Amino acid sequence: MFPKAPAEEEKEPSLASRLGSRMFERQQDMARLFGTLIGAMSSIFSPGDAARTVSVRVAIRQIFFTGVQALPLVGVIAVFVGATTVIQVQLMAAALPTDFLGRILVAIILRELAPFATAVVVAGRSGTAMATELGNMKANSEILGLASVGIDPLRFIVFPRIVGTVVSVLALTVYFGAMALLASYALSQMMGSSSFSALSGAFSDALVPEDLALFLIKGTGLGTMVGWLCCHYGLEVQTSPTEVPQMASHAVVMTLVACVIFNTVVTAGFYWIVGPPVH
Amino acid sequence: MRSVSFRHGETIVLDNTSLHVPKGAMCVVTGANASGKSTLLYVSAGLVKPESGDCTLGGHRANLNRPSELFRKGIRLGLVFQEGGMLSNMNALANVALPLRYHADVLGISVREIEQRARAALDRVGLTRSEMYSLPAHLSFGVRKRLALARAIALNPNFFFFDDPDVGLDQDTAAIVQEILCRYRDDPEVTCLVATNRDILVDRLGVPGYTLQNGRLYERVRPRSVPPSSQRLA
Repeated sequence: MFPKAPAEEEKEPSLASRLGSRMFERQQDMARLFGTLIGAMSSIFSPGDAARTVSVRVAIRQIFFTGVQALPLVGVIAVFVGATTVIQVQLMAAALPTDFLGRILVAIILRELAPFATAVVVAGRSGTAMATELGNMKANSEILGLASVGIDPLRFIVFPRIVGTVVSVLALTVYFGAMALLASYALSQMMGSSSFSALSGAFSDALVPEDLALFLIKGTGLGTMVGWLCCHYGLEVQTSPTEVPQMASHAVVMTLVACVIFNTVVTAGFYWIVGPPVH
Repeated sequence: MRSVSFRHGETIVLDNTSLHVPKGAMCVVTGANASGKSTLLYVSAGLVKPESGDCTLGGHRANLNRPSELFRKGIRLGLVFQEGGMLSNMNALANVALPLRYHADVLGISVREIEQRARAALDRVGLTRSEMYSLPAHLSFGVRKRLALARAIALNPNFFFFDDPDVGLDQDTAAIVQEILCRYRDDPEVTCLVATNRDILVDRLGVPGYTLQNGRLYERVRPRSVPPSSQRLA
């Protein structure tokens, strides 16, 4: 018997090479991620009136699903958020003047919770639906089918969804703010802490012209993120339907993280420009 | 298609493969299951980007993000998928009408003509009225295949790709599909590429063929044991 030759050991890739390939993959992911947004947004300038009409119809349908159908849910959340805020502020600062309550409600509800909570509701409700729908379309070769007949997937699928989520987030933010303020008015009246006129005066004093810019920046930015990221991760599904739920959950998680970061950065920038809300 | 290479993970699907189909000609590609015929078709149609190599249709390169650019240059693709490819949330008529509606300005057709053309295409492949208003999921495999064919022919394609066009069909449906294929074979304006592994179809079409094996194309040699096409068809 001859002694067995030692089996040739498979060389493990070095740490540097693993790190390098990981970085390369991340770079590719980012290129695809921003490629989706740039491709979709630049499709506005693509020729074709008929294609534009078809895309507008898809966008209107998306606004109906994302905006109109979410009204009851957003309304209920807004009422309870408004009420909770008034209770908290009244309990903590009952002795403070009415204009302080007005400033706090504007800062917390109108500037922070209205756009952010709306984006969270839209991401949870419509974002998952979009990512799942697009993932299934990709797995069933529907996207390839569209491309085979000369239909641009980014123009027909992604762009109308981004427009739909932006319009819906903007509109739902206004609706959220109105419902939350109404609830806070009603509750503060019931608690007998401040009169209607005093509170509404405090609101209008607390609002500054820059609030309009803040509303537009937050609404547009958060809406774009929900539509863009959910569509992108939906389209990242390759061929297997089992990837669809994984990608849908990944899409929503990434969207929420991006929305939190974006919201914080914009708020910080806003107060850096207009100064602190309470002196 | 010139010197095209493509891999699925570690598997080499196309290995420096070249294929030229002259304008108005039809070419058949055969090969075993999972040999990469569908990938070859998708790459040739410009729907999938190859790792290396060059692929043009009528001298134009496809833009993966903007397939409509090719359409505007007069390259009208038709692709019949092996399975799937139809929008699941639209009925058969809407599926066929959608590309017509999307390209209505390029094709120069009105809303009424879109409807007429979609119905004509569906009639041509033998879809019944109730099938026209059904979602693809409610249609049988054979009807879905004919629907895919209808969507492609509605656009009057000048580049037609067929992926296993008659697999899984009953005799009558297969006859409809084969008859349409023969008509396109004889059309000097339409360039066709057919992927199949059914000798009966290859014999019926009687056009040059290649076999895809290990990522490379070889000129097709018909096995001696296969009886003549007329006998097989009978």
